[in-house]
Amino acid sequence: MRYGILFLAGFFLLASWGCAQRQPVITANAPSLEADQGQENEFDLLSDDFFSDDPSAHEPVYYDPLEPMNRVFFEFNDKLYFWVLKPVNTVYSAILPLDFRYCIGNFFTNLSAPVRMVNNLLQGKFSDAGIVLSRFLINSTLGVYGLGDPALVDFGLEAKPEDFGQTLGVWGVGEGVYLCWPIIGPSNARDSLGFAVDVYSHPVVYVNDDMMVSTAYYSENKINLLSLNPEAYEDLKKYSLDPYVSMRQVYLDYRRNKIRDKEVTQNVVDEL
Amino acid sequence: MSVKRFFIITFCFFLCSGLPVALASLGPADELKPTLNKIIDILSDSNLAGKEHKEERRAKIMAIAVKGFDFPEMAKLVLGTTWNNIDQQQQNHFEELFTKLLENTYIGKLESYSGQEVKFEEERIKGDKAKVSTVIDNNGIAIPVHYVMLQKESSWKVYDINIEGVSLVRNFREQFKSILRKEQFAGLVKVLEEKNASFSTEDIE
Repeated sequence: MRYGILFLAGFFLLASWGCAQRQPVITANAPSLEADQGQENEFDLLSDDFFSDDPSAHEPVYYDPLEPMNRVFFEFNDKLYFWVLKPVNTVYSAILPLDFRYCIGNFFTNLSAPVRMVNNLLQGKFSDAGIVLSRFLINSTLGVYGLGDPALVDFGLEAKPEDFGQTLGVWGVGEGVYLCWPIIGPSNARDSLGFAVDVYSHPVVYVNDDMMVSTAYYSENKINLLSLNPEAYEDLKKYSLDPYVSMRQVYLDYRRNKIRDKEVTQNVVDEL
Repeated sequence: MSVKRFFIITFCFFLCSGLPVALASLGPADELKPTLNKIIDILSDSNLAGKEHKEERRAKIMAIAVKGFDFPEMAKLVLGTTWNNIDQQQQNHFEELFTKLLENTYIGKLESYSGQEVKFEEERIKGDKAKVSTVIDNNGIAIPVHYVMLQKESSWKVYDINIEGVSLVRNFREQFKSILRKEQFAGLVKVLEEKNASFSTEDIE
């Protein structure tokens, strides 16, 4: 009983904290010439040394000993995309209007809110965790089971996506080998473990432990995501000379950027 | 304090505060803004829209882009150490091919957008490099785009574009490195020529 009250108190504290966090307005055209002040949070693009004549500076910053195997799976995913996913998506997009697909996307995002909240907490992003909780409460009620996103539209609370792979990254766990999984796509050893943990911490596993339900859930999620970003993969293929290498680089750069980003709102609040 | 003295101090103050502005050239964001605006103007010009005006539109965009973007520097960076191992003629040829590739890919991608708005958020200078952060609003989805710029002869030019941590130059460099390892420079030139050709055949279809 006592724990229940404590839990409730903590729950509301976190929720109210989240509600109080509005996104800081970025002042346009404010040049911050005093370099590096308050910039420690942000990875410094400018210190990324392209100009070094030292050959070791240009050595690969990834570890891909399984490249031959990964390339096979990359080809498999490519075929899967053009033979299965794309035709399915064409039919899917023709049947369901865009607004409806956005609603489905919102529903999936809302359902995985517990995973994001736990990961925000594990990364010490407490106010972001509060925002995730607030978004979940608002969208589940006012947003009708998470189909709408009034938390963003009416309350200005932005989504705070975090997963366990990122959490491990923040804790200092290395990426390990680069992996290109069949169906799932680009990943690395750390993010694969993170993905497995996220799947098991997702509510859908606990609501129904039938393997079919989980598979259907993830397949529908994947198709819906694809229908909302139909150009991404084809653009990558069209604009690159070696799509495998390009995708690997995009994945690694994107994930590293995600892991580097610290909680912005937290620091703004601390300064006030 | 007398009124006269006040005026003298005020005058001196304005004189001093105006001095660095007069000495320094335009800042990176000030140089980037007109370049991007001119490109957007061309893209949204209905007289230049459509496939039949592609040649004319691309020529106009590239005429502006060469002033704002440092294509020779990008070509050099993207090749890494290989740049020093090839002769002048090969360097020029590669630069030409790579500029064409950027035209086909980057400007080709820009053409697929319509009515997007570019907002300038912040600029940061460190030595002869600068980062200008912008946000492109594409149908309600905000895409943060960072332009990394280099100062040469007092003018700032873009040498890399970074979107959510993904660097354009680095991405091409890794691809090129993988091709160079297997097929050397001649192989890379061939792949580049084939890729560029694929964009022109695409229009005929």
